[in-house]
Amino acid sequence: MASIELPHIAAAARPRAPGLFARLARHLAKNPSALIGVSIYLVFVLVAALAGSIAPYDPIEILFTEDGQLAASLPPSAAHLLGTTNLGRDVFSQLVLGARPSLFVGLTAAVAVATIGSAVGLVAGYLGGWVDRALMRLADLVLGLPFLPFVIVLVALIGPSLQNIVLTVAILLWPNAARVIRSQVLTLSQRQFIEAARVTGAGEWRIMLVHIAPNIVPLAFLYGSIAVGWAILTQASLSFLGFGATDTISWGTMLQDAYASQALDREQFSWFVPPGICLVLVVLAGFLISRGYEELLFPKLGEG
Amino acid sequence: MGTLLEVKGLSVSYRRGGVAVRAVDAVDLDVPAGAMLGLVGESGCGKSTLARALMGVLPGNASIDGGRVALDGEDLTELTPAKRRQRLWRELSFVPQTSMNALDPVYRLRDQMREVLCERGGLPTKAADERAVALFRSVGLDPVRLTDFPHQFSGGMRQRAAIAMALALNPKLVIADEPVTALDVIVQRQVLDTIRRLGRDLGLSAIIVTHDISVVTYLCGLTAVMYAGRIVEQGTTEALTRRPTHPYTMGLMNASPDLHEPVETLVPIEGAPPDLADPPKGCRFAPRCPLALAACRESDPPPVVVEPGHSAACFRAAEAGALREAARKASTWTR
Amino acid sequence: MDPLIEAFGLTKAFPVSRTWRQMLRAERPRLKAVDGIDLTIRRGDSIGLVGESGSGKTTVGRLLLKLTSITSGQLTYRGDHLDRMKGARLRGFRQQAQLVFQNPFDALNPRFNIRRIVAEPLVNLGVPRAEHETRTADSLRLVGLAEPQRYLDRLPHQLSGGQLQRIVLARALVVGPEFLVADEPVSMLDVSVRAGILNLMRDLKERLSLTSFTISHDLTLVRYICSRTLVMYLGRIIEQGPTEEIIARPAHPYTKALIAAVPRPDVDQPRDALPISGAIGSAATPPSGCRLRHRCPYAFARCASEEPPLIEVAPGHTAACHLHIA
Repeated sequence: MASIELPHIAAAARPRAPGLFARLARHLAKNPSALIGVSIYLVFVLVAALAGSIAPYDPIEILFTEDGQLAASLPPSAAHLLGTTNLGRDVFSQLVLGARPSLFVGLTAAVAVATIGSAVGLVAGYLGGWVDRALMRLADLVLGLPFLPFVIVLVALIGPSLQNIVLTVAILLWPNAARVIRSQVLTLSQRQFIEAARVTGAGEWRIMLVHIAPNIVPLAFLYGSIAVGWAILTQASLSFLGFGATDTISWGTMLQDAYASQALDREQFSWFVPPGICLVLVVLAGFLISRGYEELLFPKLGEG
Repeated sequence: MGTLLEVKGLSVSYRRGGVAVRAVDAVDLDVPAGAMLGLVGESGCGKSTLARALMGVLPGNASIDGGRVALDGEDLTELTPAKRRQRLWRELSFVPQTSMNALDPVYRLRDQMREVLCERGGLPTKAADERAVALFRSVGLDPVRLTDFPHQFSGGMRQRAAIAMALALNPKLVIADEPVTALDVIVQRQVLDTIRRLGRDLGLSAIIVTHDISVVTYLCGLTAVMYAGRIVEQGTTEALTRRPTHPYTMGLMNASPDLHEPVETLVPIEGAPPDLADPPKGCRFAPRCPLALAACRESDPPPVVVEPGHSAACFRAAEAGALREAARKASTWTR
Repeated sequence: MDPLIEAFGLTKAFPVSRTWRQMLRAERPRLKAVDGIDLTIRRGDSIGLVGESGSGKTTVGRLLLKLTSITSGQLTYRGDHLDRMKGARLRGFRQQAQLVFQNPFDALNPRFNIRRIVAEPLVNLGVPRAEHETRTADSLRLVGLAEPQRYLDRLPHQLSGGQLQRIVLARALVVGPEFLVADEPVSMLDVSVRAGILNLMRDLKERLSLTSFTISHDLTLVRYICSRTLVMYLGRIIEQGPTEEIIARPAHPYTKALIAAVPRPDVDQPRDALPISGAIGSAATPPSGCRLRHRCPYAFARCASEEPPLIEVAPGHTAACHLHIA
């Protein structure tokens, strides 16, 4: 083959395939659900980042009216956009600062679940044999644990910090991701392009990491975004049930406070409806994005 | 012999990413009673879509844009979907490419036969079982195997069972989509012989959809060649294979070598079929056709009758003899 | 000339699922997909392997490329035992022996562009990065893609089946192999583009002095690119010889049926009933004696008791049938 004369190929003359960002932008424009999901995340991330300057008050500061009275259970007004709690705290400030722990818990848990699930699924599916059997029995074991009771017990033992909540959610949720990713890896291993990599001398690790791993990214994303919802809801549930950390303001603790002080009976909707909506929005955004991802990361093989 | 199926100006579109793709474009087709018609074309030419449109089982993103499909003089496109479904099995039946799809893996063959014969055909169970035995015999299967599950059958046997099921209610017309493509040569030949015998003994009318012109020459008296959503040539199989008139048919014949004739070089058709979302102006084969004239790229050639019962959609149909000479040479097709 | 590949008693068995009775008797039934075949491939040969699905032909191809392990028998490449090959030796072999896949729509990583796909073997075999661009472009030109720049940045789904199969060939040829195994190289392609790929394969074989081994169920294809043909049935080679000779004068009843079964693009073709009935059985439970005997109209007592060996029926043409021994 070396005998064939070659004209020099000008690098500049090469048409470039659109990069990932260009494809991402084009994809979002065509895919309204993913666009909505991304927008929701962007808004919340922005709010969390700038929470200090957005929030008009310190969320745990007890406020008083001009005549020296406790500013308790005030209805929404220009000064207090969402009113105040029964202890005279500004609901809007709590809502804004509550975005931080919620997003932290959600996103770190997503990364943890996606990473552990992918690694386990990849290794088990590709290597097979006893490695596969051992990992999958472990997954079965974890899947048998009841979710909330286990979280409550574990958090009671190791403390209710945000990191520990992420840890327990990751421990409980990786098996779902790992099982599905493993079966995807099994399917991929049968594809001819994997055999092609082998016949051209690719090593096992290269096949696993370069040829198989990128193809399971959409699934990892999906399970990551499911974990966002679970983690945020777990943190909120723990707070709501009274097992959460008492020193952080989150949407969960807000709901717990509102519940404990019977805000519903007083029809103080402006206290507990907004954190509820925020929770739903963030969880929903995760699902919307993961739905849109498949097509972006899996270029279709045409119409056959 | 009367016309059993008459298709006039049938067009079918798919919706794909907001764009309408016309997979079948103004197709005219006649199937006389008792005839077998081979519908030949390559992947993406619209032959499977046409078959589905005739059956009335198009997927949700496809729709019939116009034209009529008349079976024994009755326009099927005007029927409600529910009425059309009633006619499946009784008047029109279907043999799919992979008969695994036609056979339900969790039921015994006898139960699947009963489903068609009793539910659709209104036969009592006992009569249905007798009929199932007769059907199995007619396609060369041992009736003992009626109590088996589909996975206990080999590929050829499954295809035979699918054919038996398609024949269950004596339909007027059977449409088979690549009935032998997934089979090995010997089994393929056995199934072809079964279909041929059914045609001879029962006067079966059928449309055989295939990519393999040799299957058509083995089985069918009539042939229609489809390219990019259109029928480009149709006629008796003898006329069409002996005197191909559309250059695409000539190319297909070149590309289908005969095992019993010496072959020096094979002649490919360069290029690929057009994207049906944006078909070329003029004749759709013109971009790949070495014999195309300027006029071919300007306007669409209408079908012209070249001899009784043989028509081709080519502006140069009158010069077909000379074109055939040229088309045999490999040099004509390479650029 | 020296043999490039030699196989003696090459066997590949797969475990099959057991029935309760077999478990109780501690039996381990195995399916011998390839059952003791002998094979010699000389440099410059173009050999075709024909058989139905279930004959074991694909497994032979995978054994020849060390994509699956040998159960028993021996297989050598230039005198080296394939089952003992490791490290640098194995890398050297991977550079010499390449595979052309059946399904070009599946054989290319859908997420890689053509540049990466064709350069992948170079990466794996440690060819300096500076050479990748030229060798990739070279290889694309070699397979008839005259303007490589037009393809390098595309993704597989943007190309047609014929173009994809050329890319598959380019990837196989980019490391400069001497031995090419092709498993049903055109069966997934449209009729009109098959001819182009077959012409290309024939041309490349000549220009690059390749040794080729083509696996197919289609004698028409094998005839076009292979000078010698092997016919396989249930794990055994039952006939071999020059391709034209086998097509003109098949000796084994199975080969005769295989040839007679191919439909022809001719309305006046013979439509006689095939001499062979039924379908290929399972290699897990082959019949005693000749494996074809249940389907063969000529079978006699000896066919059940004794397996026929391959014997010469004409110079260089052997068949395993008792009819030719008697």
